[in-house]
Amino acid sequence: MFVFDTLSLVFVALILLGAVPNIFYSSGYLPHIERKAHYQLHYFAFIISMLGVVVSANALVFLFFWELMSLTSWQLILTETKEKATIKAARFYFIMTHFGFLFLLLFFLIVTDGDLEMSFASMKLIASHFAYPTLLFFFLVLGFLSKAGAVPLHVWLPYAHPQAPSPVSALMSGVMLKVAIYGMFRFLFDVLYPWPLEWGIVILTIGALSSLVGVLYALSEHDIKALLANHSIENIGIILIGFGMGMIFDTLGLHTLSTFAFIAALFHTFNHMSFKSLLFMGAGSVLHQTHTKNMEKYGGLIKTMPITALTFLIAAVSISALPPSNGFLSEWMIFQSMLSSSHIDNISLKLAIPFAIFALAMTGGLAIACFVKAYGITFLGLHRSTNAKHAHEVNFLMKSGMILMTFVVLSLMLFTPYYMEYFDKVFVGLGRASIYADIFPEGIWHMHSVGMNGGIVSPLILLFSLVGVTAFMMFAYKVFGVKTRLHNSWACGYKTSQKTQYSATGFAGPIRRFFTWLYKPDEHFEKQTIAGHETKFDASHYEVHVKPLFEKIFYINVAKAVNYISYWVYRLSHFEQTRYAAMIFNIMLVVLFSYRIFSHEFSWATFVLEFFVMMISVKILIIGDKK
Amino acid sequence: MIIYIVSIILLVLISPLLLSYIKATKMVLLFKRPISIFQGYRNFSKLMHKETIISEETSAITKYAPFLVLAPLIVVMFFLPPLVHGSYYVSFVDAFTITGLISLSTFFLMLLGLDSASAFGGMGSSREAFISALVEPAMVLTIFSVSLMAGNLGVGQAGVNLAEHFPKEHMASFLFAAISFFILLIAENGRIPVDNPETHLELTMVHEAMILDLTGVYLAIIETAASIKFVIFASLFASLFMPFGLEFAAPIAFLIFIAKLFLIATVVALLEVNTAKLRLFKIPNLLGLSIVFAFLSLITFYVLGA
Repeated sequence: MFVFDTLSLVFVALILLGAVPNIFYSSGYLPHIERKAHYQLHYFAFIISMLGVVVSANALVFLFFWELMSLTSWQLILTETKEKATIKAARFYFIMTHFGFLFLLLFFLIVTDGDLEMSFASMKLIASHFAYPTLLFFFLVLGFLSKAGAVPLHVWLPYAHPQAPSPVSALMSGVMLKVAIYGMFRFLFDVLYPWPLEWGIVILTIGALSSLVGVLYALSEHDIKALLANHSIENIGIILIGFGMGMIFDTLGLHTLSTFAFIAALFHTFNHMSFKSLLFMGAGSVLHQTHTKNMEKYGGLIKTMPITALTFLIAAVSISALPPSNGFLSEWMIFQSMLSSSHIDNISLKLAIPFAIFALAMTGGLAIACFVKAYGITFLGLHRSTNAKHAHEVNFLMKSGMILMTFVVLSLMLFTPYYMEYFDKVFVGLGRASIYADIFPEGIWHMHSVGMNGGIVSPLILLFSLVGVTAFMMFAYKVFGVKTRLHNSWACGYKTSQKTQYSATGFAGPIRRFFTWLYKPDEHFEKQTIAGHETKFDASHYEVHVKPLFEKIFYINVAKAVNYISYWVYRLSHFEQTRYAAMIFNIMLVVLFSYRIFSHEFSWATFVLEFFVMMISVKILIIGDKK
Repeated sequence: MIIYIVSIILLVLISPLLLSYIKATKMVLLFKRPISIFQGYRNFSKLMHKETIISEETSAITKYAPFLVLAPLIVVMFFLPPLVHGSYYVSFVDAFTITGLISLSTFFLMLLGLDSASAFGGMGSSREAFISALVEPAMVLTIFSVSLMAGNLGVGQAGVNLAEHFPKEHMASFLFAAISFFILLIAENGRIPVDNPETHLELTMVHEAMILDLTGVYLAIIETAASIKFVIFASLFASLFMPFGLEFAAPIAFLIFIAKLFLIATVVALLEVNTAKLRLFKIPNLLGLSIVFAFLSLITFYVLGA
């Protein structure tokens, strides 16, 4: 019923690392929740269900815990139901999560032959005899990646995560998405093993697209939790890039490189868990103090909330992939595995991978911009609202949750080799050769790429040298005793006030303008002129909203099409009875015509002729005259 | 080891000289009376003697950020390719780390801009974020291409490899990569087509806007960081794209290297005199050019070298 191999245990460790600091934070947050019993019950059931998913050994247990995880998280989103948006988001989440569940169920029904208590190893046999393995692969992709939030199934994340209470957002974004990644690892390795090349390319493409789309929408977001939710899409994309490279290398027989890329993906999974949880906790503390999710209303919080600000800064440096943080190390590994694409013989594939490198590098640059915005607008400058002015540091339990999570982030940076040893064991357990010795050939100080002309990085040496140089300079500054004086900001002689600062909208302005074709922003600009003078005004108001493109194309348009069709079906069912006979006649006509076309001979002339005969009979007999 | 330390110190010392030299060259070309090429040192010592004025609106970030802007760049100085044959060099840091460290420095510079609560700081940070986001992909692709030609991703090792064996058969991709990298050099250092380092007009400035509220020692630190960044990029360009002259005896090799740096500075100065500053929203076109050249370099490498 349960399995405890290295892959499961590593993911158990991931869930525990994410959940334990979260429990502290959650208990600090509890006094502000009205339905305490409801919250507590679902919160712990949620954690247990995630643990259940990663240790389950057969389809029935897996599906049970998977569904329990979806339902408890759905109930947790509904903890505070005062806002209408919450109910809407929860409904959307419910539909999306069951959309994924449906495909998982289909997958299991096929690979288990109906016996849901079968072990994963025996599923492999059935799957290998199944005629359409790519169908199974797409079931997995739809099932797990809709939960993980990869493009184009990412749309629910920016709605659901902001509406949940902050500890839950941290758990959902930090841990629950990783459970879906676990599913990808488990079933691609255990059930569908020899992969065709195309699958890897599909995953790589989804990853590259997700990373770019996630970070671009994150940049245009003013709601701090929606911003972080969009960043989850980006990071899942980065994980999938590593994963896709691993699959591509595997099918090409480059096993060492393949394992390296998979380890990179797994390492980034851990890193994303750590810093995203921490960021959501920080955002939750800020939200808790200022009672608004709008970043334009924050500002200057570093002065009154130093612990939150410091932990948020560490997480921001890490998520922006700046050295020597853990985020940098995993992104470095993914870059290294992509640069090893020069080993590939297939020239078209070789020429295509630089585009994925481009996407990942662009994502890195935009992520830096985004987190300068998130940190700078939230914590720096002057208070932008009275709420921000009255904010103070959160209670002890919430602080300790954040500090514990900071230790997780720092441990991933400082003890990378030790984590790497376990990641390596995961792949030994999945039947690969150990490559730990290739990554750390000269002890734990230098991390090597396994590619031919790959690079080397030494996180600890970098960290020590950075800290050393900074400390030395600050010491010199102290020793020389430079006189310092406090004065107002210069700002070219004008007085600075909360309104003269740059806003979050303004900060993302250049990038938003450059990507107008993607954002298609919805701008509102009102100006009250004085006596009709365009140049003189005493009040003005500018707002810009970005409508997610994918949501419009894949969701709203689909909904519109369904509405349209259902309207016609409705019309049809309200005809007078004589027309039903006409419909039957027409359907018979279609059947006969198509039978002739498909089973006898095909010529365009008769096809066109029959088409027009059909159209005319439909028009005259069924639709009739327009009233 | 001694040559290694000496060359780092010399590079740090020479850095203000290069920027003053660019300025002086530009003034000569514009028929103005040039400033002394030692102006950089004079500015530095003047700023060091001033008291530091910290804005009341700022937070702890302003206290620490100037050091955090300079520290990564100083660390990068230790990882540059060797200037002299046989000199010690750090082989365990690759080009990605250097890109990352430069981004780390920019990250804190942008936070510094936002911290003083002035509109100019925010504007500078916003523009810098925009530009550096577009620089990143071009940088990574160029690094990728150069690492393929040099046979190693570590910049130190790559510099040595290129000096010992120059891949003549990949001259085309080498040139494309060089063009791409030169555009990056201009963009990252805020030189004229991208940013004008000499004006404080709000329309033109990126880098200067972020540091408008700094004075005294803090300003000296940031100015040093700017000049060190130029030296880093110039010496990377010199070692990776002009890999010759290493085999001479140490003093001569060093002089050749300095000459290469001055050559790059002269080219930058000529470019600055002959072009106007681009509008902010035209900068992506320039950087897009750099990305295209990086792609071209990779593609020619693969297609010709496969």
